[in-house]
Amino acid sequence: MEEKILNIIKDVFELEDIDNNVSQDNCIKWDSLNHLNLILEIEMEFDVSFDPEEIAEIKSASNILSLLKKRNLN
Amino acid sequence: MNHFIFRNTTLEPLFKSHKVEFSGYDDISYINHTADIFSWFYILPYQQDNNILVDQITFFYQNIEMVYAQIPDTKYFCIFTLFNPFSSPVKTGDLSLMNAINEFNQNIIQFSKSRNNVKIINSSDFILNNQKVDLIDWKYYFISQMLINPKLSRSFGIWFKSQIDAILLKRKKCLVLDLDNTLWGGILGEDGVTGIKIGGDYPGNAFTEFQKSIINLKKSGIILSICSKNNESDVLEAWNKNTNIIIKKSDISSYRINWNNKADNIREIADELNIGLDSMVFIDDNPTERELVKQILPDVTTPDFPIQPYDLPNFSTKLVSDYFQAYNITEEDINKTKQYKSNTERAVFKKSFDDFNQYLLSLEIAILIEKASALSIPRIAQMTQKTNQFNLTTYRYTEGDIKEFIKNDDWVFTIDIKDKFGDNGITGLMIIELDNSKARINSFLLSCRVLGKGIEVAFISHLLNKLKESGIKKVFAEYIPTPKNSQVKDFYEKVGFKSVSLENDKVSPTREFIIKLEDFHFEKSNIYNIEEK
Repeated sequence: MEEKILNIIKDVFELEDIDNNVSQDNCIKWDSLNHLNLILEIEMEFDVSFDPEEIAEIKSASNILSLLKKRNLN
Repeated sequence: MNHFIFRNTTLEPLFKSHKVEFSGYDDISYINHTADIFSWFYILPYQQDNNILVDQITFFYQNIEMVYAQIPDTKYFCIFTLFNPFSSPVKTGDLSLMNAINEFNQNIIQFSKSRNNVKIINSSDFILNNQKVDLIDWKYYFISQMLINPKLSRSFGIWFKSQIDAILLKRKKCLVLDLDNTLWGGILGEDGVTGIKIGGDYPGNAFTEFQKSIINLKKSGIILSICSKNNESDVLEAWNKNTNIIIKKSDISSYRINWNNKADNIREIADELNIGLDSMVFIDDNPTERELVKQILPDVTTPDFPIQPYDLPNFSTKLVSDYFQAYNITEEDINKTKQYKSNTERAVFKKSFDDFNQYLLSLEIAILIEKASALSIPRIAQMTQKTNQFNLTTYRYTEGDIKEFIKNDDWVFTIDIKDKFGDNGITGLMIIELDNSKARINSFLLSCRVLGKGIEVAFISHLLNKLKESGIKKVFAEYIPTPKNSQVKDFYEKVGFKSVSLENDKVSPTREFIIKLEDFHFEKSNIYNIEEK
């Protein structure tokens, strides 16, 4: 799942390569518009819907991973 | 293609697949003049007070007029129609908002009518075709101001491209159709002429509707061709005897009904119709055939075909919207099929004659040479603008310029060519400037459609004779090379003119020619029936 998330980030942000630790702080492409595009792709790909509060909290690839894991457990 | 879009809300995800620069929200103060195409896409804001909305809509229209004034008239300005994305008002009898939206849409339609570069994009067309996904996702609206559900972005991107392609007239030209299980149910060779499923109950009725939708495309100027593995005689018999078949032989411009591989057949059809493979769409129910064509002829568009006949209406809707939409369809587009068809018949004909003159004779060519008249002036100007290949000087003229020639008593003659297969209309012209005993051929051009039959020689010879009869001694002519007209570089010498330019003149590429009419003798050919009016 982690790999899939990283691939989506890479595609949406049009990056050449991607680091496991990618986050808003270390990636300049992660602006507010791309944040929206990213959430959209993740929601469609994993067929989930995040709450607005969760969307605001997402800052990194690992945030997304843990949110998705939480969804799968429920 | 760089777009500049005036907007009042977040639209970025919708246009992700296009190169777009956006205005600020509700901002008309800045415009990037270097964009290739401009659009206005405003969405009704989420607002409880109808009166405010109504006022705002009036304001939108005024803004459009101001924006338009800044757009160069060589570039398109596309205006999206306004729609109401929200649910019912508290007072069901209050139609003020609906009226305001209708009025806005009427206004922009009127506005576009008198301005050639203004085009209307009908937003409801997108909404109607995407009702499976909610138009608004309120979560995204509140976190991003994005009123149209961003999950519709992908289909919006495709739809928008097809709208722009339609405006730029980039549609495909030709449909290549399979027969068995594509235009009718069943297999002709096995089920027989009356056994195939067309007309009557399901699934025959679904195929009937599909054939009707294809005829509709033909009426809009799309060329129909057939590529089918069948015995030709079986298909001809079916066309003759099964009256339920809507698409008749006469609707087809070219066909290959044989057992050869379809890629070769399609290539032949393209050659015969003289169109590019990239302007063809191939429709076949058999995935193996589709795969073959996809691999060997990747330029041909090969969409998937529905397995169930009841899915054909959705398929044909998508076929039209993806490949065959045009913003407007001109008379010329509609006539195109007819012309392609007669040209094909001519080509087949040509093969079966060894002696070329025999072939020409059998065409029963009738040439009408006519002095320019008020009726033909628009066509004359248009031809000088559009003809590139058989054009000796490529001077471009307006209708006013042509009238000027006529006023100066210069000769402006058109040629109209008919043969047994049809009337091509005015397909060439010559402009000759007169100066006492001298004359100069200012323009001489012919449409490519009529070349290859010696008509160009008959035309110029006729007029040279006429000049001689009216006392002209010398005629000058020139050839101005362009990247497209090299086929005529030796034309004047072939007809008997002498070159007076220096060999390899490096200063001017234009070549000058002269002919003394006393040396010129034109024998009337019995191949053409030439008439002058």
